Amino acid sequence: MSHCRRLPPALLGLAIVAAAAWWWWPGESAHVRRQLNALVREVNTITIDGAGQAARSARLGRFFTEDVEMNLGPGSAPIHGLETLLGMAERLQPRTAAFTLRFDDVIVRIAPDGIRAGVNLTAVMTRRGLSYDDRSFDAMEFSLDLMKTEEEWRIARVTAVETIR
Amino acid sequence: MSATSRIVFGRNPRRTAVRILVLAASSAFLFGWALTPIRTEGVSMLPTYTSGALKFVNRIAYMSGDPQRGDVVAIRLAGPHVLYVKRVVGLPGEHVRIVGGQVQIDGSPLLEPYVRHRRAWDVDEVTLGPAEYFVVGDNRGMSAGDHVFGRVDRARIIGRVVF
Repeated sequence: MSHCRRLPPALLGLAIVAAAAWWWWPGESAHVRRQLNALVREVNTITIDGAGQAARSARLGRFFTEDVEMNLGPGSAPIHGLETLLGMAERLQPRTAAFTLRFDDVIVRIAPDGIRAGVNLTAVMTRRGLSYDDRSFDAMEFSLDLMKTEEEWRIARVTAVETIR
Repeated sequence: MSATSRIVFGRNPRRTAVRILVLAASSAFLFGWALTPIRTEGVSMLPTYTSGALKFVNRIAYMSGDPQRGDVVAIRLAGPHVLYVKRVVGLPGEHVRIVGGQVQIDGSPLLEPYVRHRRAWDVDEVTLGPAEYFVVGDNRGMSAGDHVFGRVDRARIIGRVVF
């Protein structure tokens, strides 16, 4: 078999190995994205019973640092600390059960030290209705600062970006 | 060449392949970048656009010019997949205020034939910077608190909504 005929299978094999390596050993950006996707799945989980709500609030805690700060924009009071955040999340669960959260256009920047990251994303909140026409829809841009602690990326700061002000 | 091959690939398969590639490349450029399809969500642009309507964003409209008053523009948030769609009512350097639902530009009322209903919105005067536009939806019948409107940077406006 000539070298020319060996080349395409070799290139294909190399491409497969590279794809497998990329999937098996993703960079930190991919880890951050997976953590944010996991947060969205957790937020969108509907829990009805009281014990489940408390457990869900506790699970939400692993996505944030203890001293997390959230500034959700005009009209919203700033939130300081994980305990405050989880308390609010537990109280708001019955109302938020009708909403679905989605993150779009997630842009991740890993700092040179490898333990800090900045993220810009668009958060889309859709209120479920009985029909398609009954849905309501809100979108907002947020800037996130994350820290890597105990091998997990956690959100330390959330700031609303005023696209239209 | 068999009859089936001739039907599928034409008399000249190479020319057919080139045509397919050119068509695919131009479609990718046209609908992937120059004329981006969007689906509107929400009620802030009623009656001009209803929720669920299919529109297009002309992303090359402002390559050689700037948004004009009355243009319906697409405004980028963190990226290009979720956009605000609003109408430009104020241009850079102008003083914009809203009194009783009526938009005033440099003290003069703005004629807005696209607005069907108005609530008595009141917005203090803002002076637009050299690269700022004032945008607002056409649905002035909704509460001002439920409506996203105000100043936006020129860099955030990615194109004009058409069709």
